[in-house]
Amino acid sequence: MTKKTLEIYSVELSGTKDIQQTDNGNGKEKYRGLKNCFEPRKNHHKEELRKEVDLDDHKLSIKELEKKYGTNIITGLSSTQAAELLARNGPNALTPPKETPEIIKFLKQMVGGFSILLWIGAILCWIAYGIQYSMNTSSSLDNVYLGCVLALVVILTGIFAYYQEAKSTNIMATFNKMIPQQALVIRDSEKTTIPAEELVVGDIVEIRGGDRIPADVRLLSVQGCKVDNSSLTGESEPQPRSSEFTHDSPLETKNIGFYSTTCLEGTATGMVINTGDRTIIGQIASLASGVGNEKTPIAIEIQHFVHIVAGVAVSIGILFFIIAVSLKYQVLDSIIFLIGIIVANVPEGLLATVTVTLSLTAKRMAKKNCLVKNLEAVETLGSTSIICSDKTGTLTQNRMTVAHLWFDNQIFIADTSEDHSNQVFDKSSGTWASLSKIITLCNRAEFSPGQESVPIMKRVVVGDASETALLKFSEVILGDVMEIRKRNHKVAEIPFNSTNKFQLSIHKTDDPNDQRFLLVMKGAPERILEKCSTIMVNGQKQPLDKNTAEAFHTAYMELGGLGERVLGFCHLYLPADEFPETYTFDVDTMNFPTSNLCFVGLLSMIDPPRSTVPDAVTKCRSAGIKVIMVTGDHPITAKAIAKSVGIISANSETVEDIAKRLHIAVEQVNKRDAKAAVVTGMELKDMSPEQLDELLTNYSEIVFARTSPQQKLIIVEGCQRQNAVVAVTGDGVNDSPALKKADIGIAMGIAGSDAAKNAADMILLDDNFASIVTGVEEGRLIFDNLKKTIAYTLTKNIAELCPFLIYIIVGLPLPIGTITILFIDLGTDIIPSIALAYEKAESDIMNRKPRHKKKDRLVNQQLAIYSYLHIGLMQAVGAFVAYFTVYAQEGFKPSIHINIRVEWEDSNVNDLEDSYGQQWTWYQRKYLEWMGYTAFFVGIMVQQIADLIIRKTRRNSIFQQGLFRNKVIWVGIASQIIIALTLSYGLGSVTALSFTMLRPQYWFVAVPFAILIWVYDEVRKLFIRLYPGSWWDKNMYY
Amino acid sequence: MVIQKEKKSCGQVVEEWKEFVWNPRTHQFMGRTGASWAFILLFYLVFYGFLTAMFTLTMWVMLQTVSDHTPKYQDRLATPGLMIRPKTENLDVIVNVSDSESWDQHVQKLNKFLEPYNDSIQAQKNDVCRPGRYYEQPDNGVLNYPKRACQFNRTQLGDCSGIGDPTHYGYSTGQPCIFIKMNRVINFYAGANQSMNVTCVGKRDEDAENLGNFVMFPANGNIDLMYFPYYGKKFHVNYTQPLVAVKFLNVTPNVEVNVECRVNAANIATDDERDKFAGRVAFKLRVNKT
Repeated sequence: MTKKTLEIYSVELSGTKDIQQTDNGNGKEKYRGLKNCFEPRKNHHKEELRKEVDLDDHKLSIKELEKKYGTNIITGLSSTQAAELLARNGPNALTPPKETPEIIKFLKQMVGGFSILLWIGAILCWIAYGIQYSMNTSSSLDNVYLGCVLALVVILTGIFAYYQEAKSTNIMATFNKMIPQQALVIRDSEKTTIPAEELVVGDIVEIRGGDRIPADVRLLSVQGCKVDNSSLTGESEPQPRSSEFTHDSPLETKNIGFYSTTCLEGTATGMVINTGDRTIIGQIASLASGVGNEKTPIAIEIQHFVHIVAGVAVSIGILFFIIAVSLKYQVLDSIIFLIGIIVANVPEGLLATVTVTLSLTAKRMAKKNCLVKNLEAVETLGSTSIICSDKTGTLTQNRMTVAHLWFDNQIFIADTSEDHSNQVFDKSSGTWASLSKIITLCNRAEFSPGQESVPIMKRVVVGDASETALLKFSEVILGDVMEIRKRNHKVAEIPFNSTNKFQLSIHKTDDPNDQRFLLVMKGAPERILEKCSTIMVNGQKQPLDKNTAEAFHTAYMELGGLGERVLGFCHLYLPADEFPETYTFDVDTMNFPTSNLCFVGLLSMIDPPRSTVPDAVTKCRSAGIKVIMVTGDHPITAKAIAKSVGIISANSETVEDIAKRLHIAVEQVNKRDAKAAVVTGMELKDMSPEQLDELLTNYSEIVFARTSPQQKLIIVEGCQRQNAVVAVTGDGVNDSPALKKADIGIAMGIAGSDAAKNAADMILLDDNFASIVTGVEEGRLIFDNLKKTIAYTLTKNIAELCPFLIYIIVGLPLPIGTITILFIDLGTDIIPSIALAYEKAESDIMNRKPRHKKKDRLVNQQLAIYSYLHIGLMQAVGAFVAYFTVYAQEGFKPSIHINIRVEWEDSNVNDLEDSYGQQWTWYQRKYLEWMGYTAFFVGIMVQQIADLIIRKTRRNSIFQQGLFRNKVIWVGIASQIIIALTLSYGLGSVTALSFTMLRPQYWFVAVPFAILIWVYDEVRKLFIRLYPGSWWDKNMYY
Repeated sequence: MVIQKEKKSCGQVVEEWKEFVWNPRTHQFMGRTGASWAFILLFYLVFYGFLTAMFTLTMWVMLQTVSDHTPKYQDRLATPGLMIRPKTENLDVIVNVSDSESWDQHVQKLNKFLEPYNDSIQAQKNDVCRPGRYYEQPDNGVLNYPKRACQFNRTQLGDCSGIGDPTHYGYSTGQPCIFIKMNRVINFYAGANQSMNVTCVGKRDEDAENLGNFVMFPANGNIDLMYFPYYGKKFHVNYTQPLVAVKFLNVTPNVEVNVECRVNAANIATDDERDKFAGRVAFKLRVNKT
């Protein structure tokens, strides 16, 4: 972890010099943007923010500060003072977002979903017993047991769901606690390391490069300190810090370091002025909790499905209650029927199955670097229709890399892939030899020691981003750069600074015959060119004439237009007579020539896209997902990257492009012609919501550049107004409102701040955009597979329900008992329905549009009808045949069944005659009834095997999908059979379970119907494939 | 059923429903056009027709495995149950001596029940068999149909036969007759070739005291082997089930007496814990006298 972080830091030292200026000018606007963004929302937020702005510690002198906080900058606080303050102000940590108390979460599981129905069932059971008891004190306790079993089912599934959720939350908790933060503090005149949580206001802390600033601190003394404020302000450039008061705004002034930002280099000493939630970050984080969390799409879908099933259960229950009463059944019997109907209708195990399925996918996604915090977010990602992605680090590799070279009047392309291995440009030219020498020598960056075994591109470098890029570039091509530098001993050096805009060094050459010194220089290309009078072409010096200067400018513009940072390189061999070996160079007086140099070439660098990203963007596009780039970077760079990864496709143009091509003014261009748009934060700020809506609908390819992270929230809301499911990536603290607001917030695992991770639903462990796309794929797959699972589970409900309905109307011996139903729902059916989660996609799920939130339901009419009225009824028929077979072969032929119920169930009738004139005692009948239950149960089980197999696909033939590709299905089938065998032969003697032994042949009675189900479904799928869009397709495809 | 988050006014909801029921623009009734409805009805007609046919076919095939005369399996009938007549709701026979209505229905039921046992009918339909041995009528390759049954004459029930009985099976005098019969089980050789009889006792000690004396008809509560085996109602058309009548002579009045009768036969177990009626029958007897 530490190593990883270091790598990132080494890259973040980017000195984007040319961009920096505009950035600073823009800064103020950004903060205004922050205010604007929150102002309309909630009033107290505004006030909080204003209070924060009132902070004036940066204006105070050190003396005043010491007085204000009762401290001393040399000795620090005394430990008693510190303890007192700690007790008064609380620990220096952000209050975690308010969590629902565990007990509430638990109770929610107890009453959510079908639980209410089952509770009603249980209570009805107890009421039924109460009625029975009042009529006859010795009535059997069956109903009490059933009530208890139902209650137990609710409680157990509730506990299970709660456990699953708690487990996934725990992953997060451990993730958060990986690195406990320490702070170096002066207390009682001694430097001690204490946990950052124990810091109090007035503490004197020391900060070194690489540290996270442990609280809001007023800097007292600073040595070359730069901080990364990107998580707070979105500025990706390192900000220099000093101890002087430079600006009225506390956010702008250089003498304040903010909590949770990182000190990149240098050291500083500071006084803690705010801790915990009172820090600026803390205040922003608390804003995030004010943004409501939307209900996830899958939660809505499941609710919809629960409503359907509950609706069916309740209406059938009430209907048959009325029928039963009007058929002169006693109210007590009618209540018992009602219980049976509810139990038969409710897929008790389904919600637990869904949870397991989601967590399986979550695990699978975690393996692919998507850590899902909220289980339901798994599917949300699949229904995403817009992804608002960051650029740096997500789309790009987050490291400057040499992309192009220009020498010998030619532009060469360098390999920018992750390993740089494939550099194909022409290295034979003499110009390259000189250029490579300048690149190697005029560079202060160095590899950290002890990394010989690490691949070059992964090595940690001390130095800024451009120099790092150059160092790695030359190391890859030339080999050991440090050795070359040693051989070419450096005698003098002028480091880069913003006034000079160049860097220069003078070396002894490694050629023993050449006693001349070599002066090498790099810097802003126009500055370098100014200093040159000659140019090297094919290794030969030529005078720099107008043509070559023109060529230079064309190349420079072209590379700049690619959004790349261009550097110019030149050199000069100092004449040996003027500068003998003993000559001492003085960099202050510059006693050496810095003009009339020889221009060698240009090198341009860019933070290149990750190599997997273009592919991922294409996938998104074919998957109907709009990718919007939101970046704080310069529009040109943003556009270049967008083009190179395909966010702006090769043939689409922005309004500006068209204007340029047609040589007309931007205003004259028909906006409909442009597919792409690059919008800056400034433009966005002036837009009304309507204009933003228009922008989002009219352009399919949009890049937002120069935006502050706060504007992300505006963009997200705009997208959501288009009814889109929006995924947002973010890493900074003030991304957190947008992350919260988004349907799925994706925080960066490496670069992300804790606040972002807290607000997000998902964490991208490798910060890679491509991982989001794999996540989308998994999310879509799980939606399909959940459909299959639910279809599978719902089917047998009809087979469980029909017996009750027919029992009530026809009065035959009860074909299946309530307990037996529970054994199907919570026994044989569980593993198979989970197994469907392992099913592979039927076709390329990334080739279809994201599902429409309101139209593509998880459980639609077709699914319900096909499951209930087609396959479900077949199952019922098959199971009834099994039931009738048992009865007929034991003596009760089907004809005798009608209206036998009352006598059959009367325990005082012990001589009931069967079809052959034999007489049966009550218990003998009861046992036969249990055999009937078991046969019916086995009948359903056998047909559920067929149901499981047909549910593997919704459109393709099973043979296209492969019967054996998903091995878990077979585990599921085996589990069904084993559970059924155990229940029948193992527990057949336990009367309470009402299972009995069954003759082997009865296990096969329903097989013809199982085969029928399979054949029927194959025919259905065949017609769907043959006649897409037909009446059949519309009605039979779920 | 569709739950929508947006709040809608009542009028809008009604309007939407109206449009759902009949949409004049698309000519859709309940979301489907006429053609679509026709299709769907036709489809279900065919589908369910087919399903019914499939059900009928499999049931027919299944019934081919079942004989008309003897059941395929008799797993549950290893031990025949015992039952009493008159049959009452909770197997409790309550006799108010002074209140004829309380026992009149029992008497009516018994009259009806015993009618087929009338000697005249028995003589007309059934054979006189040799007592003490099974009356076997094997098929020997040729279907022996219908099979003959042995006579059980009502007069064998002695004081309980109710023939010319002014006491109405003793109900009017507080000395009721209870008839005990053993369930018919096809091809069951009750008693395993040894004589068997029915005995009755009070369930607990106090019941035994309150029960007093009783007499049984036929004597000793014997059930003769000649009534077995039973060949089923198709073969054994006029089969007459043997009975044992118990006449309770001096039941302690106004007390509920728990009586248990069981059959003593070599191959009938009477100790099944779960099946309280296997080879035995328990009932309550109460004679109220004022």
